[in-house]
Amino acid sequence: MLKLIQNEWMKLWHKKGTWAMVALVILFIIGPGIMMKYYETKEGNTWQESEQQSIENYKEILNDDNLSAEDKSYYEEQIAISEYRLANDVPSQDLAGFMSFTGNMLTLVTLFTVIVAASIVSSEFSTGTIKMLLTRPVSRAKILTSKLLTTFIFGLLLYVVNVGVSALVGLILFGGTTGAELEIINGQVVEKAVWNDLAYHYLLTGGDFVMSMLFAFLVGSVFRSSSLAIGLTMFLSFTGGMIVMFLSKYKIVKYVWLTHSDLTQYERSSSILDGITMPFSLTILAIYAVLFLVISYISFMKRDVTA
Amino acid sequence: MTTQPIVQLQNLSKTIGGKQLIQQLNIDLYPGQITGFLGPNGAGKTTTIRMMTGLMNPTEGKVIIDGLSLQDNYEEAISKVGVIVENPEMYKFMTGYKNLLHFARMHKNVTKERIQEVVRQVGLENRIHEKVSTYSLGMRQRLGLAQALLHRPKFLILDEPTNGLDPAGIREFRMYLRKIAAEDGVSVFVSSHLLSEIELMCDRVAVIQNGKLIDIRDINVETSSFYYIEATPNDQAAALLQKLDYNFVADNNGYVVEIKKEDIPKLITQFVHEEIQLFAVQPHQKTLEDQFLEMTGGGQIVEANSK
Repeated sequence: MLKLIQNEWMKLWHKKGTWAMVALVILFIIGPGIMMKYYETKEGNTWQESEQQSIENYKEILNDDNLSAEDKSYYEEQIAISEYRLANDVPSQDLAGFMSFTGNMLTLVTLFTVIVAASIVSSEFSTGTIKMLLTRPVSRAKILTSKLLTTFIFGLLLYVVNVGVSALVGLILFGGTTGAELEIINGQVVEKAVWNDLAYHYLLTGGDFVMSMLFAFLVGSVFRSSSLAIGLTMFLSFTGGMIVMFLSKYKIVKYVWLTHSDLTQYERSSSILDGITMPFSLTILAIYAVLFLVISYISFMKRDVTA
Repeated sequence: MTTQPIVQLQNLSKTIGGKQLIQQLNIDLYPGQITGFLGPNGAGKTTTIRMMTGLMNPTEGKVIIDGLSLQDNYEEAISKVGVIVENPEMYKFMTGYKNLLHFARMHKNVTKERIQEVVRQVGLENRIHEKVSTYSLGMRQRLGLAQALLHRPKFLILDEPTNGLDPAGIREFRMYLRKIAAEDGVSVFVSSHLLSEIELMCDRVAVIQNGKLIDIRDINVETSSFYYIEATPNDQAAALLQKLDYNFVADNNGYVVEIKKEDIPKLITQFVHEEIQLFAVQPHQKTLEDQFLEMTGGGQIVEANSK
């Protein structure tokens, strides 16, 4: 099995696209990092001055009568936090701030993993190399497993690159300032457990990452078309929220994986649907994951190869 | 033939969508023998070969390789088979060597030295470290042969192997197949539409038409010898041949006569004696094309011989 993964890994890195993906993941961290640094130095303000300025901005907004109660309380909280910072000399945490910003770039990691998952089986069919691959003393199940594991390892690598490069760029550009992220709980300004939150966020994006990967892998190996697989997976991830909204009248929506695949909904206070909990979501996702895999394996193992 | 067959097709049948593509095929292949596989387009050659390599599952019947059923003992049975199905499709974005390394890892006991040895045998030493996308079709065929030979198979299946080779390459390829068949006792199964190619290469031909085996017979074994005789006047020559009770048939400006070699001088004396002008007496090789037509039931020589 190790040799098979070695093979897949070799083939993967001999494609130029793979290197481009890694380069893009890195670029999409360095680019915004430099831009943020540029604007920061251009303004040339100390953090005290910029906090002062944002307090004034928020106050101006609060003067607007059309503001909803929710927004109003949000801005009031922000003002309280900024005032607390000035009074207690606590600057905001730039490194953690930058990293929670680049956490959004994990979408890119998921996208690229989906591309690899979609094409790793279907490309063998479209180039005809599948005939060479399957006339070996290795069962089809092992070949498919090696491809699945390779995709997963590639995805994890992109994750590590994202986190690693973010931390590095953040450290170089913004330095390890000793500040802290603040939030208001029960009217009290308290220090946020920012690193815990960040790690939790990275973990939760794993839900969408795994489900998208398995779905793309399924479509790619059943229909042998990478474009269909990438297109369908992307379509579902963009419109997933809408589909759930449309279906929300029906009970069945609780049992559709799209409702649950975005686990970051549990970070926020409101989930996409009322009455679902994290353990329930995880159970549903696990069932779908197994289902996707079973269909992929059966179709790959039973198929007559005519490519 | 007293030796055990290395490959046996037993009642092999394949039905797709209610259409019977292959019907009750029974073929035995022996070590050291090169068997040609002929048939018009759409006769079921490729389907048969796909079933023999495990790419397709037969609807009925079995493929037995060295005593092991391909369906029940896939990994062990296929490890004795080397395959080139149609054009050898390689990973174009990798070098020839990496391709071989890739396939070598999928077999047991294929060392780096063995890879070098095979590369030398197919004459690719100078280009093996270049990308396959830069190879000509002939070089890809050589690489295809190399990957099929890596694990020293007992049985070699080739589908249109000389497609794209230059005349020198074809000749070399033929010699090479003859050598491994004779020295290592490899059984070779070659499908081709080039009758002359099969004729030069094979000991035996199997002919299939509409999914049924029409005939399987040894070639290059002349049951009777034929000579081409050209003489004027024509009708006088014909009358003489008739009188001497030879089987003959008109061909171009002369006649093809069934006659033993030792009788030739006697016949020439007769011609001279009758004062018939003799222009040519030469051995007439029955080509595979003639035999092919014979088998498919359209040969004129059959009629002539049975007169």
